[in-house]
Amino acid sequence: MEPKTAPEKFIVPIGPQHPALKEPGHFEFTVEGEVVTNATARLGFVHRGMEKGAENRTWIQDLYLMERVCGICSHVHALAFALGVEKLAGVQAPPRAQAIRELVSELERIHSHLLWLGVAAHEGGFDTLFMFSWRDRETVMDLLETISGNRVNYSANVLGGVKIDISEKQADAIRKGMDFLEERTKHYLKVVTEDETFLGRTRNIGVMTFEQADFLGAIGPTGRASGVKRDVRVDSPYTAYNDFPVKLVTHTHGDLEARFIVRIQELYESYRLVRELVDKMPTGDLTVRVPRRIPEGEVISRVEAPRGELLYFLKSNGSDTPERVKVRTPSLCNWSSVLVTAVGHNLADMPMILAGIDPCFSCNDRIVTVNRKTDSTQMDWEDLRQYGIEYYK
Amino acid sequence: MNINFPPLVALLLFPGGAFLLFSGLVFEYIDRKLVARFQNRYGPRWFQPLADVVKLLAKEEIIPTGVVKSLFVALPVIALTAALTSALYVPLFGFKPVFSFQGDLIVTLYLLSMMTLCIGLAGANTEDRFSLIGATRALTQLFSYEAPFLLALLGPAIALHTWNIGEINAGAGNGLWFIIAQPIGFVVALVGLMGKLELPPFDAPEAETEIVAGAFTEYSGRGFAIFKIGRDVELVIGLTLVASFYLGGFNSPLDFLWKTLLLLFVTAALQSMFARLRIDQTVGMWWRVGVLMVLLQLVVIIIGQQFAPVVQPALQSLFGG
Repeated sequence: MEPKTAPEKFIVPIGPQHPALKEPGHFEFTVEGEVVTNATARLGFVHRGMEKGAENRTWIQDLYLMERVCGICSHVHALAFALGVEKLAGVQAPPRAQAIRELVSELERIHSHLLWLGVAAHEGGFDTLFMFSWRDRETVMDLLETISGNRVNYSANVLGGVKIDISEKQADAIRKGMDFLEERTKHYLKVVTEDETFLGRTRNIGVMTFEQADFLGAIGPTGRASGVKRDVRVDSPYTAYNDFPVKLVTHTHGDLEARFIVRIQELYESYRLVRELVDKMPTGDLTVRVPRRIPEGEVISRVEAPRGELLYFLKSNGSDTPERVKVRTPSLCNWSSVLVTAVGHNLADMPMILAGIDPCFSCNDRIVTVNRKTDSTQMDWEDLRQYGIEYYK
Repeated sequence: MNINFPPLVALLLFPGGAFLLFSGLVFEYIDRKLVARFQNRYGPRWFQPLADVVKLLAKEEIIPTGVVKSLFVALPVIALTAALTSALYVPLFGFKPVFSFQGDLIVTLYLLSMMTLCIGLAGANTEDRFSLIGATRALTQLFSYEAPFLLALLGPAIALHTWNIGEINAGAGNGLWFIIAQPIGFVVALVGLMGKLELPPFDAPEAETEIVAGAFTEYSGRGFAIFKIGRDVELVIGLTLVASFYLGGFNSPLDFLWKTLLLLFVTAALQSMFARLRIDQTVGMWWRVGVLMVLLQLVVIIIGQQFAPVVQPALQSLFGG
């Protein structure tokens, strides 16, 4: 008899190029039949060297660079950067600017969550919901275009305030848009909680318990769907969240359905907040002066992006360029939760579990130093450049 | 309509052959357009399916390494051939079937299944992992819908005491339509047809977000185009079968048009109403619900037939009929 050998592993690669992924990432799912037994992820396909790029630009130029870290949540990146710089410079934007910052943040959250709803439905093969939610998302995109002139990179922030103002006409358009979206969102909540075939794909799929979520450091709506009570808007309010507070939305089930419900309920919360903001917008200036050279110091600036906590570390050496800008985006914190919850599910559930954390690849790809125990090497800038040239030759 | 076509004409030009190919493309266009409108999209222009096929035929066909070449090339052709052959036994466009014999219903159904078998083989032939999974799912799905679909089409056959499609077509128009007499059979037949054609929500074998294009992943150019046409032809034949059995049969091309298009409308609506079923959900649904319901209906039909001679005179005497 031949000696028993381990059965050959059947690995299904998803990515870097795959219809389920809108951005490049690489996942390997080991399957037995249809059931996934192991999952690994490899990131870093869209590393763009932005942190390094930021060091060569002035503080003001960096504002526009940082806005382009992510294509979906562009405003929060600029906001986190601006808040950090203002803290370093010891100035505070006027109340009206803070309120407008919060307004744009919430409008952005609405567009991001509606976008996610469509993408997640598409991954589950429910294209009708995909088309409908993206059609309705155009409402908020149009609103953002009306108030800022842009659909994606709104460029609302400047250091020390905002550059856009909300007129009474625009406020009316926003109110009307919110009414329409609230009506539609009620319908979507009904669909995701009552449609039998859709529930078959989401209920008890990808369950992450509170302990797991806490241990893995899941943040944002992904963590909140598992009962992790963490939201920067509530925990340490920034901009105008003190005057216009937001209610924490959590769920206990931790499955895909819970992630749908949490995000949709956050939409309601955003509609309420946006209405309140345009109704009770403080009056006054839009900007304060910020010096060109930022005083020496270090600061950590945290904001709640649609996907979870976004963290900026800024270090200034007293010149007009930053010495170090470090970005930690929310998607990065949630990857481990995907790999853990994937095991034991069907291959067919993988796209939805992947999409369930609302991943954003391009904004979380940064250089990673792997610290091996044996051959640890230090590379300086020149070595790294040479390595890159050799690698891509 | 009883026109006898010379066999060669029927095979190559009308109602089978070239005309069927083009009507397949037209049906695909209507299906795509309807689904698009249900999803609030514009949908394709009327010549899009034809343009797709022309483009694919003009393209280079890439034969991947590690496949049995002859099989790779032959499988799409076999699939299309089987679909075109089955057209000879069905009352296409309201005309009398070109060939018919007792039991051609079974032959037709097997010819229609060739498509899925070819897809399964095509997927298993390549080394691509998406293709392999797609092939496994396609064959799994075949085993789940095939039995209920067959049983659903047997309902009218048993009721009319004939297994000849032409005779069933002629007999279905007399008296109550089978959609009312055997509603369960109609639903199962229609949904079974959707499973057969791998339309959403039964498109797990080619779920693009999971396994790219399933068994077709390695196919390009000519082979893919032929598979595509074959599936369009099967759509027409499948709709013809279900409509002629359950919607009172056809007597004229006009009859054919409105009945099949009505069915197409219903399938398009069903396609846009649901999320994709996982393959285990599909199998579970068919064997737990589909088969049981159809079997129940068959039992009712058979019992009805056994007791009809006894009950009918009694009823007639009661109501003075």
